[in-house]
Amino acid sequence: MPTVTYSKSDLLSLIGKNLSDEQLKEVIDQIKPGVEEISANEITIEHYADRPDLFGIEGLARAVRQYLGIQKKEKFDVKDSGLTVVAEKVDIRPFIACAVVKDVKLTDELIKSLMNIQEVLHETFGRKRTRVAIGVHDYDEIVPPIKYVGASPAERIIPLEREVEMSLRDVLINVEKGKDYGHIISKADKWPAFIDQEGIFSFPPIINSNRTRVSEKTKNLFLDITGTNEKIVLQTMNILVTNLAERNAKIESVKVNYGNKKTVTPNLSKEKMIIDVDEANEWVGIKLSAEKMMLFLQKMGYDAKKIKNKLEVLIPPYRTDILHQVDIYEDIAIGYGYNKLKPELPKLPTKGGRNEQEIFSNEVREAAVKLGLQEVLTSIMSNEKDQFDKMGLERTEVAEIENPVSLESTIMRKSILPNLLKILSVNQHVSYPQKIFEVGDVILIDKKEETQTRNVRKISVAIADSKIGFQDIASVFDALMKIVKIKYKLKELNHPSFIKGRCASIICKNKQIGFIGEIHPQILQNWKLEMPVAAFEVELI
Amino acid sequence: MAEYRLSEEGKEYLKYGLPEKNLVEFLNSLPQKTATIGKAGSKVKNLPIALKWALEKGWIIKKGDQLTLLKPPYQTEEEVALKKIDAGMKADEKSLKILLERNLVVKVSETYIKTKKSLEKSGNVIAELTHDMIRTDLWEGKEFKKIDVIHVTKKFKKASEGNLQPYRKVIEEVKEKLISLGFKEAKGPYVEMNFWNCDALFMPSDHPARSIHDIFSMKNPRYGKVLDKQLWKRVGETHKNGWKTGSKGWGTWDEDLARRLILRSQGTAVSARTLYKWKKIPYKMFIIDRVFRPDVLDAKHLNDLDQCEGIVVGKGLNLRHLLGYLEAIAKTVGAKKVKFKPSFFPFTEGSVELQVYHDELGWIEAGGSGIFRPEVTLPLGVSVPVLAWGLGIGRLSMIKMKIDDIRYLYSDNLQWLRKQR
Repeated sequence: MPTVTYSKSDLLSLIGKNLSDEQLKEVIDQIKPGVEEISANEITIEHYADRPDLFGIEGLARAVRQYLGIQKKEKFDVKDSGLTVVAEKVDIRPFIACAVVKDVKLTDELIKSLMNIQEVLHETFGRKRTRVAIGVHDYDEIVPPIKYVGASPAERIIPLEREVEMSLRDVLINVEKGKDYGHIISKADKWPAFIDQEGIFSFPPIINSNRTRVSEKTKNLFLDITGTNEKIVLQTMNILVTNLAERNAKIESVKVNYGNKKTVTPNLSKEKMIIDVDEANEWVGIKLSAEKMMLFLQKMGYDAKKIKNKLEVLIPPYRTDILHQVDIYEDIAIGYGYNKLKPELPKLPTKGGRNEQEIFSNEVREAAVKLGLQEVLTSIMSNEKDQFDKMGLERTEVAEIENPVSLESTIMRKSILPNLLKILSVNQHVSYPQKIFEVGDVILIDKKEETQTRNVRKISVAIADSKIGFQDIASVFDALMKIVKIKYKLKELNHPSFIKGRCASIICKNKQIGFIGEIHPQILQNWKLEMPVAAFEVELI
Repeated sequence: MAEYRLSEEGKEYLKYGLPEKNLVEFLNSLPQKTATIGKAGSKVKNLPIALKWALEKGWIIKKGDQLTLLKPPYQTEEEVALKKIDAGMKADEKSLKILLERNLVVKVSETYIKTKKSLEKSGNVIAELTHDMIRTDLWEGKEFKKIDVIHVTKKFKKASEGNLQPYRKVIEEVKEKLISLGFKEAKGPYVEMNFWNCDALFMPSDHPARSIHDIFSMKNPRYGKVLDKQLWKRVGETHKNGWKTGSKGWGTWDEDLARRLILRSQGTAVSARTLYKWKKIPYKMFIIDRVFRPDVLDAKHLNDLDQCEGIVVGKGLNLRHLLGYLEAIAKTVGAKKVKFKPSFFPFTEGSVELQVYHDELGWIEAGGSGIFRPEVTLPLGVSVPVLAWGLGIGRLSMIKMKIDDIRYLYSDNLQWLRKQR
């Protein structure tokens, strides 16, 4: 989720009301984005992915104005610019939207805001420019007609902030943005480009030309949005132009001619959705009249018209997150105020209960404590060194992570015992005897399962003292099994982690379910342990 | 009895040669008597140690990355001394001093003498492995007396009580509370299919929270099995065009990605499985168990954490009921004040973030919740409202445990754990 820092004075001037820091935080938190920090001059906000319309300072201010009732109605005028952009078939990036924005006052605030919104939208909503990329140009430097074409990598551009012309291919090799984003298009034969009479002025999703760069002298803008998903391209355009309109710029539409299809962008008409007043009330748990509900909808930027007991809701053109009626219900609840909703437990009698395995696990845990053992809790993630090498075991197939973030946690544990030895090894200054246990899951490969693996519940116990042996651990194990009423048998076992002749497998109902023994001193040395340790690990079935 | 004995490292060098000796021997074996550090490192064990001593002794010179032999290798006094000490003879003072400094030789302690004697007395067969034997390495090469593991006498002597893990105790209290509210406990696998963790929850295939920074993917095994083709079709259609949910859908769906195995990143995966499996409505389900996130944390942090996941499934449920359950859980862990904030999750609408007040830390985010979207419930076969939450039970437990550092939850400090009664 993007975190963005804004100028507080610009935000307040766009809101049009002087709010204290507390008031500002309160209202923004209640609308949805989270206020992280407010300083003398700045406000930092963590946004949620569903509201890209709030990423820009203008959209954020608009939402605050609406929520506080400073602004009631909103209307976006769109004039026809008379411009047509012919769009050739560009397979790698097939969809475009264009707009002309006139009478722009490029104040420091607006320049900062334009840079901010492009960066944030590119990163998040644009999925790092793969899904959507934005180009902003000085309209007066463009010489129409404008075409969107698939350009050969050999064609040339003077990229932004450069003075020399270079091939598109060289942009990918030599220009920073080319190196960052070139991978999005480099595999295609033809690369996306906007051209006018003078040549390429936009090379999406990489870079603009220096010729059409925006400066403090710029009065009119040309916006190009390109992408792989038409809906997202159009929505991004709507967010941008409605933000600019908040600064009194004039929006003009552009005809996009795909040959087989013609569209006009931006399209700021509002989509309609019908909601049922009763259903909305039931969903939130309140009882609002249709009229009252319309007021809360207005607070959230919607227009609504009453039709019998239903509301026809007009969705603002910058809202990208309204897929279903429930999305509007949430906004009614937000308009009402989450903290004004009274929490209530419903009358819904159901019978509760524990999972069988957990009941048994708890019996075992309680029993282990009675026997003087200290419970510990460790990570399910482990590594092959701990799980196999240090235990003297051959490495075997194990659930392995593709993208580990540390060498400590690269696989899922097959055994709990290594975790216990690790705990003993970091506590050698603590008084002995040390007797610890963990009840928890290990992960085994099982090709029969839907997930090719299964969780197996185990208990592992390790006891350490200056003298400790098989008899001691066998006594603990036997006492534990007696408390939880499980019959078992022991059978001699050779296990590389244990001293030969002092290890047994644990058999229950003719199935081997665990092992018990004295840890071999070589294994202790691997863990840098200086006390003898005896241990067992057994499946809880 | 000799006064000194070889350390583990000393024994290794006696057997395989001193590292610096191995290095010069390696260089001497080359026609040009020179090699890069990288090359030498691949042939000579313990190269950093070898380098240090070979340079100090003036046997080699190092120019940049290049090592060149100056003197041919010869037997060193240290090697002679190591052999002597191992044989129980006296070594010369100068060599002994160096060997002690290099920790290749240690002074024979009284414990060593005592332990050695007692071992000799028992014919060098170990009846009982002791701390002293491990400390002195005297177990090495000795035989262990065989124990009759099957018939060994098992007589448990009652010692003092042990102690439950303090965080587990809080988890059990929350479980009890939920059970008293009519919740049934569920289970689910740690290695999970993307389908249950994300797709069945209407998270679009290209959702940023599905990136490698947010979810652990499995290298082995990689893909899960599709058990119910009809279900997969419903979920896929919902993503593509909304299916019969009344939604617009996302326009696309990546089925291959849905089959990929991952570590579950949210307990909500179990909620999705439950909605699909449990047919008798109404019901309440909970699970408090591990989830896994690849957050880059400091060394002491774990990549697994516990989540308290719950769903309430029944007619007539609403947002205020959801807040009711959140408040009840927060109170169970001793939170005095709670607050609700709008939030966003792809699978809920009416998304709520629970905030609780911690005396030391102030307001803390305790987790997310909401009413499941119809795009989640309908394809899974549920047509009544479903309240859902996934709370960071660790953070909530910090209130009850009166701790202000989350790392105590999985503490490996036995002293601290023993004190938490």
